[in-house]
Amino acid sequence: MSHMEDSQNAAPGSVQANKLGGAKKSVEPAQNAAKRLQTELMQLMTSPAPGVSAFPSADGNLLSWRATIEGPADTPYSGLTFKLSFEFPSNYPYSPPTVLFRTPIYHPNVDFSGRICLDILKDKWTAAYNTQTVLLSLQSLLGEPNNTSPLNGEAAELWDKDPALFKTKVLARHKDIEDD
Amino acid sequence: MFQPEPAAYIQVSTGYAIPHSVSDYTFEETPLRLNDGRGSGALGTGPSGANALLYAPMLSAPAGNRVQVGPAPSSPGSFNFNPTSLSAAPSTVPAPSHQPAPLPILLKMESSADELVAQEAAAREYQPQLEGPLVGKKTPSTAITEEYAKADPIYVQKTMMLPQTYTHYRQIQGDGNCGWRAIGFGYFETLIKTGSKARVDAEKERMQALNAYIETAGGVPAYVFQDFADETSSLLEKMSEMIGNPERAAEELLEAFNTPDVSNSIMYHFRLMASAYLKGHRATYGDFISTGTGVDGYCQAVLERHGVEIDHLGLELLVNVLLKPIDFVLEVAYLDRSPGSEVNIYRFPKEANSQLASDLGPTIHLLYRPDHYDILYPPEPVSLQVHRVTSLSQSYEIASTPAALHSYAQLNLQPLAFIPGFDASPAGLAPILDTTSASPLTTYSPSPVSPWVSAPFPDPALQATSASMAIPPPAPPLQPQTHPLRFSEYCQLPEYVENNTRREPTFQTATFKNSHFNVAHYNNPNFQPEEYKPEADDHDSPPRGGGRKRGSV
Repeated sequence: MSHMEDSQNAAPGSVQANKLGGAKKSVEPAQNAAKRLQTELMQLMTSPAPGVSAFPSADGNLLSWRATIEGPADTPYSGLTFKLSFEFPSNYPYSPPTVLFRTPIYHPNVDFSGRICLDILKDKWTAAYNTQTVLLSLQSLLGEPNNTSPLNGEAAELWDKDPALFKTKVLARHKDIEDD
Repeated sequence: MFQPEPAAYIQVSTGYAIPHSVSDYTFEETPLRLNDGRGSGALGTGPSGANALLYAPMLSAPAGNRVQVGPAPSSPGSFNFNPTSLSAAPSTVPAPSHQPAPLPILLKMESSADELVAQEAAAREYQPQLEGPLVGKKTPSTAITEEYAKADPIYVQKTMMLPQTYTHYRQIQGDGNCGWRAIGFGYFETLIKTGSKARVDAEKERMQALNAYIETAGGVPAYVFQDFADETSSLLEKMSEMIGNPERAAEELLEAFNTPDVSNSIMYHFRLMASAYLKGHRATYGDFISTGTGVDGYCQAVLERHGVEIDHLGLELLVNVLLKPIDFVLEVAYLDRSPGSEVNIYRFPKEANSQLASDLGPTIHLLYRPDHYDILYPPEPVSLQVHRVTSLSQSYEIASTPAALHSYAQLNLQPLAFIPGFDASPAGLAPILDTTSASPLTTYSPSPVSPWVSAPFPDPALQATSASMAIPPPAPPLQPQTHPLRFSEYCQLPEYVENNTRREPTFQTATFKNSHFNVAHYNNPNFQPEEYKPEADDHDSPPRGGGRKRGSV
């Protein structure tokens, strides 16, 4: 087992995967993840869901994706577009991707570094989820925040108390960013 | 045995989801697992188990209600528990229903918040050290006996009997998927054993239907699980090609199941099958879901989650969807501390429990130890005949017994009883030696018994006899299947001795009687109070020291 691990670490392309996998002892080959992500990419291109899109990032690493979500109508985020990053672990889909908002966003369940509190990205993840379902979940999170476990306490409070001020803060925080 | 490793606390807090705010612990709802340290882990709670019970409610309930259980109760709602006491909670928390009840911010822990975050991060990253392959090699099951030789007497006894029913076993890695993986492996292995190409090909067909079922009943889009299903199909394809060469097929299977991609995919495919079957039979199984999350929540949190162990309902579902339609049976041997001398057996589907083993279809045998599954193998039909003492039935040869043998049979073998290993000799031995006409011995040369008789006594008077009987030279560990352990003097095992209708050696000298070798001695690890048995009084029960009557303890 240990020698297998070594040879994988030496293989090109797996350095990144290893970094993403954190301190995991057993690094699994990323081929399965790559294969699965190709299937997902195909699916996203052939039958796209409205308001969400995702592609591998420009550097050619299939384990790193960029995605966009359009703010749903009838929410404070209506008309805004949000960019996100997806980093897939080498044992994807058995472990969830790490998803961050790259566009600054004012939302009860997103902190100021873009980190997201969503159960399916943490302990509720199953291998039957995929990039598209994650994006759709995030899109619905924009309209229905979980205010009982906020990362941004002020936003959670304003959501109910003062929707107008909330909307102002959303617009003030939103800022279109360049792709890297 | 229990080692309070620094990592032990980690499993308690793996579930909490939010890195930043202390106010938002949400605990994982899946049952927390023991460290899968085989043997020692199975023994359950360590010395700090009581602490776990103390702290568990504190962690999951609003603090204000629980002030009295805290280690340092101060004013209500603001007790200080420090993070070190938190870290002392071991991995054996019995995990009641962890409601994600928000912990009010009443705890004074500003100063330690950073430490907590660091601990939480470490907990999230924590991966238990897993050793060995995903699916191990087939090994004699006496290894299990040895593993438990120093354990609780119930384990010792059950594992002593185990190798008689199942000669071999195969270890599965304890990564939380072992039950699923074991059944997956067993399914393919059993298919190979049927030796029928038609049968394997029929399975490939059936997989297509099952995949459609996952889509319709399970509601999982085909593209999501196509990769998983492909691995199952391609392995079935390989098995079909190699069906004429079972050994190669078995090697291929072992290799496939030790390739994480393949192994995990097939396992996940099976998880989805079970999940779809549950969703397709909500009325039947809905009420058996104990997590309180309903069918869909259970599927998501238990069945479809990589690394979450299969439970009884999961076994039931997987057997119904995968094994029952092709008349495969799953038999689970439960090795736990329930009273009894043998492991408890339960078969899936439950109808199979009332049938004779010989009437059952191909059977996959699993060994369950608390929180872990391995694969068991019953003895091959041929070797079963060889190892049993069947030659006793050949007593018609008595007439032709050479005279020399009679003298041999009258030897006083009593001193042998003091040789530690001798005590564990098979039950057959005693009757043989007791018969005045020892005729079976003529046909006995390759039997497991002979080395015991000939080896320890190079008495010149005996040598001639031995030679005339052509007893082969001693080869001590001859038949590990029948008596796997060389007992130390610390391990007299009264229960085992009783079951074999042998009596423990009587301690004839005062030195022995008063030593801790005697199970009636309080220093003996298998201390067994003496019982007064009037019916046994006349012939057996030698008088023992009056001072040893400690039976009322």
